[in-house]
Amino acid sequence: MRPRVLGALAVADFRERVRRPVYAVILLAAVGLGYLAVPSTGSHWVIVNLGNHRGVYDSAYVAAVTALAGALWLFAGGFYVVRVAIARDGATGVGELLAVTPLRTTEYLFGKFLSNLLVLGSMAGVLVGTALVMQVARGESTGVDPVALLAPFVLFTLPVLAAASGCAVLFETVPLLRGGLGNVVWFFLSMTVMIAGQSPSAPLGGLGMNLFAESVKADMAARHIAVRELSLGLMYLDRPPRTFVWSGLDLTWGFAAERLALAVLAGLLAVVPALWFARFDPARRAGRPAPVPVPDAVPIAVPGPVPQAVVPGHDGASGREGTLDHDEAVAGGGGFEVRAVTAPRPGGAAGRLLAGELRILVRGVSRWWWAGVAALTVVGLLAPTEIATGPLLLATSVWPALIWSRLGTQGHENGVGALLGAYPGVRRRVLAEWAAGVVLTAFTGLVPVLRMALAADGPGTAAWAAGTLFIPSLALALGVLGRTHRLFQALYLPLWYMVVNAVAALDYIGAVRAGGRPAGPDPLAVAGVAAVLLATALAVVTFRHARR
Amino acid sequence: MLELVEVSKVYRGGKRAVEGVTLRLGAGLVGLLGPNGAGKSSLMRIAATVTRPTGGRVLFDGTDVVADPGALRRVLGYLPQDFGVYPNLTAREFLSYLAAVKGLSARSARARIGELLELVNLTEAAKRPLGAYSGGMLRRVGIAQALLGDPRVIIVDEPTAGLDPQERVRFRNLLSDLAADRVVLLSTHIVSDVESVAGDIAIVARGRLLRRGTPDELLASVAGQVWEVTVPPAEAGAMRARHLVGRTVRTAAGVRVRLLSPGPPAPGAERVAPDLEDAYLAVVTGQDTAEALGKGR
Repeated sequence: MRPRVLGALAVADFRERVRRPVYAVILLAAVGLGYLAVPSTGSHWVIVNLGNHRGVYDSAYVAAVTALAGALWLFAGGFYVVRVAIARDGATGVGELLAVTPLRTTEYLFGKFLSNLLVLGSMAGVLVGTALVMQVARGESTGVDPVALLAPFVLFTLPVLAAASGCAVLFETVPLLRGGLGNVVWFFLSMTVMIAGQSPSAPLGGLGMNLFAESVKADMAARHIAVRELSLGLMYLDRPPRTFVWSGLDLTWGFAAERLALAVLAGLLAVVPALWFARFDPARRAGRPAPVPVPDAVPIAVPGPVPQAVVPGHDGASGREGTLDHDEAVAGGGGFEVRAVTAPRPGGAAGRLLAGELRILVRGVSRWWWAGVAALTVVGLLAPTEIATGPLLLATSVWPALIWSRLGTQGHENGVGALLGAYPGVRRRVLAEWAAGVVLTAFTGLVPVLRMALAADGPGTAAWAAGTLFIPSLALALGVLGRTHRLFQALYLPLWYMVVNAVAALDYIGAVRAGGRPAGPDPLAVAGVAAVLLATALAVVTFRHARR
Repeated sequence: MLELVEVSKVYRGGKRAVEGVTLRLGAGLVGLLGPNGAGKSSLMRIAATVTRPTGGRVLFDGTDVVADPGALRRVLGYLPQDFGVYPNLTAREFLSYLAAVKGLSARSARARIGELLELVNLTEAAKRPLGAYSGGMLRRVGIAQALLGDPRVIIVDEPTAGLDPQERVRFRNLLSDLAADRVVLLSTHIVSDVESVAGDIAIVARGRLLRRGTPDELLASVAGQVWEVTVPPAEAGAMRARHLVGRTVRTAAGVRVRLLSPGPPAPGAERVAPDLEDAYLAVVTGQDTAEALGKGR
């Protein structure tokens, strides 16, 4: 690999990404994460829970908890930020230009890995800055120790971000994982890594939590503080944690070597796809309609005499009549009878608009997806009611996630907006798109609601109905706001996961039950949120249209 | 009647794409010519209600379509320079969807879509997903959608890009036919695209309308100024430096240069009849000598 080539590739790609407005949002998110990691003295929320204790906010502690928060959340969320590096080259056509250069495939893939790492690394850089500011702002310790401040980011955060960068390249090169399915797989994979990575037996140091935990435990024990639990995440404590002075990380060469090995493995993960990466050859591209050769020029009947190009509004003296250019002389010219075309008449089109939106939504969906719907239907009909209205309801609430994520994004992602911009009825289109989402949601969730209706479960049915309005409304609003299907995929799956974990306050579909009744929010409240989301989508579209 | 009155467009960041353009368009075909980056597409998007101007007015039959774009959109057929499609839909399904968006009745939409597919030679391919279409086929789908609602105003931006020569001729003639009783605005940077069908040509550059006139008027502006001369290859560069050179062709005798000059550019130069490309070059480089020819008409 040639370092100059790698550098040029990575820097160009990095520049392209950071010059997009969304990059500012990404950095703001990093600032927000840094702020969350160092909560105020009276806060009940913590990212690192040390059994109702925390370290005094000095450089070592602030940096360690911020770096761990970065390792945890940037690993899971950062993947979604960087996972379109190769796809963008395909969409812009840059990939084809690169493909015909002497650039080696391994160099290309490693360059993308470095570019991903630069983007995520810049977020880590923002975290370092935020940690410094937060330490000074909290004012518990004003002495800044640069080594203590930087070391956790270098050893905890960056190797984990390298792993996310390598995985992003790998996912982009595997046809099955390239699309929305990859986002879903990553959600579950990252959840697993986030949990397993905190374990003392996590390979290559995991997220770094264990080294931090060992050091903290030793210090707390020396101060006769009982250590009940140590965990990383976002947690609410019954009372604000008490403080102690932590002496800082006890770094070893062995740990540093493990972290280096993790980064190297991540780089290897990115270049392994060179074995099958197609270098943007459309003939080997999967996941899109096959570019079957279509006879382009259907034989055109040689037309009769060329009609004169008489231009109304100009007489023969000033207009140019009957002049032929070379093309016309060759091809023979006109022959169109455009007036023979049936005159269009206005008529009720709401049904066909809905049918069109439904078609746009589900056309191209794999037959395996439909087989899944069929399987859920059969299971739902045969299973006991408590299964059909519990786990099965949850399954039907996630199975169409990739299709819901298309709502509000299809026109933009396919470039159809350029055509539709001059079409009437923009709000009608948005409403039809939303209605298509509701129809799909109702269709996939039909069996659970049938079982609820048969069991005379009115509250469950009402919760289902509210959820059926809520999900497509959320998808549409996020799609319209973000103009990308990834936003819904990244936010909806954690929301669904919370419901799976019986967080009743977030149960939008009525799957969490207490005493046989849905324990979640009032269905009217959920429907109200759905209405607000739909109104938001409409308002954003109208605003954009007005500002065109 | 579609009128653009003193229309300007300044994008965020201060880029001035269109500056004080006035165009009045009645039935007939107006060819909008200009170099790349001249502001043609911005002007077309403004005329098609896709982009709001930052200054001036756009009127359709007296209605301000900046404030009320619906008045124009109901009777508009617009083909942008770049557009996308839903790749999993067939051409028929895509057009059917767009017909519903336009509010056409099911029966007339069905019949019209079939006829339009025939018109653009896509009947055979109508059941294939659009993702499998070539660029030229997609352009023809774009043409069909522009004609869906029997538009009174047709605005087409670089419509022949990607079409083969036969299709280009067919499409130009179609536009010419449609222009008999409709407003047709055709934007291109290919002079031959408007030369054969437009009786009214507007030339824009740097966001401004430089000239508007009939082809004959434009030709008259450079009459007597177009020369052809054969020079040794070593002198071709000097000729380019001194004159506005339109074309050069390498021949056995040397380099045949076609250029604009008020007088003979070199001994042995022959005065030749101007064509529209000569007139266009003269206008966009500011070297035409004619008086204002219906400018801003």
